[in-house]
Amino acid sequence: MLDMLSLLDITFFLLAALGALVGIIFGAIPGMTATMAVAVCLPLTYALGLHHGLALLLGLYVGGISGGMVPAVLLNIPGTPSSITTTFDGYPMAQRGEGERALRVCVVASVVGGLISAAVLFLFAPLLAEFSIKFSYVEKFLIILLALTVIASMSRNMLVGIFSGVLGIWLSLIGTYSISDGGNGKTRLMFDFLEPYLFEGFSLLPVLIGIFGIATILLEAEAGVKSGLSDKEIKIGKGGGFSMGLFRGRLTNLVRSSFIGTFVGMLPGVGGSAASVLAYTQEKNLSRDSSEMGKGAPQGLIASESANNALTGGALIPLLSLGIPGDSTTAVLIGAFTLQGIQVGPLFIPENHDTWYVMMTALVFANIVMFFLMFYAIKHIAKVVLVPKYILYPLIVMMCVVGAYAINYGIMFDVWTLLIFGVLGYLIQKVGLEVAPLIIGFILGGQAEIYFVKSLESFGTFSIFFTKSPIAMVLWGLIAASVAFSVVMGLKSRAKRRLEAA
Amino acid sequence: MESGLTSLLSVSIDFETSHLFFPRIIHWLMGGLFALVLALNVVPFLAAVRRGERTLPILGESMDKFRFFGTLALIAAYFYLMDVVGNLFPYTGYGFLFVSVVFVFLMSLMYMHTRTKRKVVTAAINAIVAPSLAWFILAKLFQITLP
Amino acid sequence: MSMPNVPKTLGVSVLMAGMAFGSAAVMAADGPLRGNIRVVIGSTSTGGDTYQNSSIVVDALSEKLDLNMKVDAVGASSAFRFLDRDSRGNTLMIFHDQSYLGYLYGVEGYDNIFEKYTIGPTVAINPGNAYLVPKDSPYENMEEVIEAVGNGEEVRVAIQPGGVSEIGFSALKNAISIEYPGMEDNLVAVNTGSQADKNQQLFDDQADLINGTVQANEQYTRLPEDDQKAMRFVWLTARQSTIEQAPEEGLGQTSREQLLQYVEPNVSVTMGDENFTFDKEFFFLYNKDMDPAIVEQIDTALSEIYAEGEIQEVQKKSFFIPNFKPSDEAAEYLENKMTVYKEIIENIQ
Repeated sequence: MLDMLSLLDITFFLLAALGALVGIIFGAIPGMTATMAVAVCLPLTYALGLHHGLALLLGLYVGGISGGMVPAVLLNIPGTPSSITTTFDGYPMAQRGEGERALRVCVVASVVGGLISAAVLFLFAPLLAEFSIKFSYVEKFLIILLALTVIASMSRNMLVGIFSGVLGIWLSLIGTYSISDGGNGKTRLMFDFLEPYLFEGFSLLPVLIGIFGIATILLEAEAGVKSGLSDKEIKIGKGGGFSMGLFRGRLTNLVRSSFIGTFVGMLPGVGGSAASVLAYTQEKNLSRDSSEMGKGAPQGLIASESANNALTGGALIPLLSLGIPGDSTTAVLIGAFTLQGIQVGPLFIPENHDTWYVMMTALVFANIVMFFLMFYAIKHIAKVVLVPKYILYPLIVMMCVVGAYAINYGIMFDVWTLLIFGVLGYLIQKVGLEVAPLIIGFILGGQAEIYFVKSLESFGTFSIFFTKSPIAMVLWGLIAASVAFSVVMGLKSRAKRRLEAA
Repeated sequence: MESGLTSLLSVSIDFETSHLFFPRIIHWLMGGLFALVLALNVVPFLAAVRRGERTLPILGESMDKFRFFGTLALIAAYFYLMDVVGNLFPYTGYGFLFVSVVFVFLMSLMYMHTRTKRKVVTAAINAIVAPSLAWFILAKLFQITLP
Repeated sequence: MSMPNVPKTLGVSVLMAGMAFGSAAVMAADGPLRGNIRVVIGSTSTGGDTYQNSSIVVDALSEKLDLNMKVDAVGASSAFRFLDRDSRGNTLMIFHDQSYLGYLYGVEGYDNIFEKYTIGPTVAINPGNAYLVPKDSPYENMEEVIEAVGNGEEVRVAIQPGGVSEIGFSALKNAISIEYPGMEDNLVAVNTGSQADKNQQLFDDQADLINGTVQANEQYTRLPEDDQKAMRFVWLTARQSTIEQAPEEGLGQTSREQLLQYVEPNVSVTMGDENFTFDKEFFFLYNKDMDPAIVEQIDTALSEIYAEGEIQEVQKKSFFIPNFKPSDEAAEYLENKMTVYKEIIENIQ
């Protein structure tokens, strides 16, 4: 223990704080992600040494994931894919002039999610790793299916919503059936002449910022870019109407979402965006009153942001106890270890006690720094909406371009994807299709395919989805409950509408 | 009965064509849903349009044509020229830098409703400073490849 | 940490980044290679071996040539396309044997690199390509696996199809068809994705043998036998001479001595007249129309770098085996290598 304390010098904490700050900035720029922040700073860790390097990288990780909430709330553009569900409630609040309040809710939820997941990581990592390998392709498919059921409950018109979701899945299948996921590497759903561009399909991040960011700008342009909210309409200063009272009665939501986030982060391959979607679904299904969700309810923000930050601890579980990254950022973290000649695997924690404690310290510290940085900076950040649109919009387009171009380390087609999906997003909203289900379908579609097809390849029968394991049966129970819930909700709201019409 | 059900549920996927297995399911789903949407939503909607109760999307709405199509054209030109100019200075990010300055300025001008001198100067300063800053931090400090 | 510290930390960040990158910001150079150089790699991962190895080589090269060079993990199909379009020498590529194995396996997006590109120097070997069984597997070694398949037992092998991960499987299948003609179909490929997926197939008992790497799986081989996750190496595809160059302490707690047990000739997977081996080698690829003077320049720079001897230490620290061959030698060597594997793949079809 004493050895370990000697590793924690002032530089260590400064680096973790610096990481959190740079991470927040990266996360806050639409299109820049935590993964990218960690990747660009990876070469620095060589000079810093392992423990200092880890402090910086973990700071970047926590900051990057958190920063995504800023554009999600203020501009309706998810800064990182996992903050997609934050836009559902955050942006309506910002439009009502409650941007600062929304952001404060997000920050508190984030830090709670981050700390809960860090605690789970610290106490149960090896045990949970053991549990996570019980999830084969079959169970992972069912998790994705469960997350997809949110489509039914979140759409305004269930039929149109489900259709939009399936359309999203279809769009995600364009390109090759990727070899790196075990596919046969053949292209489908395109013409031959498109192959040079669409070989790897549309990338998630450009699609997201295109359909949210560029489409929003097109809609605004169509309406003539009227001037926006004025100072008076915005509640800034004095907490912007935020008080801890907002969390009263939301503790279950907060804790549940944090655990969902940790758990999904822990499953290799299922990935980040599924976590917040799943937490959002569960809040929608389980809370006493979810009728305001999607229209600017703090409970949606709590679910989304606590789950999304809980990912950090979750994704580190398989990394440190199996040597397998839980998401794309931790995949880059592996590089930091190998650069220093340290292997990660099932024996990492027992063999590197010091490093393990150092990492936990950095993780917890980064979360706390993130909280204070964000909580007190929000007042200023929230003023972004006061910037005149003729200044703000060109800059948004420019930053979207940077993000899209950089996400796959410099591919021009990703920039064009922005425009394609910007126009598509515009058309979709015009003809009355629903954007949120479509994007959730797009995010989860690729994984749904791999897990579904691979399950059938292994077992050769559809019945395996029901009989594989007790875990599978529990998941079916949850899926059934979720579907039943959305049907009941749908009928209720229809009855209500009829009543109002009559 | 038992064996009948088993054989009904059993499936064998040829690896060579496995890339089409899932898309086929999605096609059927999408087709079926589309038919339903058509019957339950689109047809009643079109009927309402004919009766004059509703208007067609996009076509029947008023729009700021100049700003809408201007935005589309400007973005398309921005993306295209960035690549072309960038190619003249390989991997320096100058393509991004130079074209962004022009783009940001033009888009600002287009979105302004009243063009006072002060506003134009602000926009011009913004158009020079913001892309330069982004370029310096990302391309120079973090060595991120830009067009 | 509160607001007043922000400017300070920001200052530190600028300072740090400046120190790390400032030295490389040089425009002028005397050789034919000019301006900023981008090295694209065939992998999309910045945590993987291709990126790591390319970074080591490109950093050294960038310093030697006094040029701005940057590694971008764009993935195979994009990397080839970037290379196709740029004959100025501003775009170079580093990849490994996957570049021609993908073509041999008929994967979309791969062409014959020996016809379409100029082959540059080889720089290193990743000696880690391995095959593993569960610790409680009935198969003690590869000989028993081959014999079992020859006797009609079905053995399932988890691999990632279409390249480096499959070549060992193909060789095994070929060996069985030579020793036990007609029985090779009992060796079944379980096509799956990442290392995590392959491991999972083993835990789920959906595979009897998996492809893996020394680096990623070594710790699993040290778990107690009653652990569901415990594995055992049965085969490393590297040449004996390659592993002999590895650091004596080996990797993790597995020494070079122990690793040598699993390579040819201790493990023999026959190709008829000799045993199969496979070393995953990293090398440069250039645009066909690029100025030959650039090829020359990089060859010279690299031979100087390797003569200095520092890069070898860095590579070995990351468990790479230094392996510099200038362009001409590399091209001939790799083309021969491809011919051997081509025969194997054709044999088993």
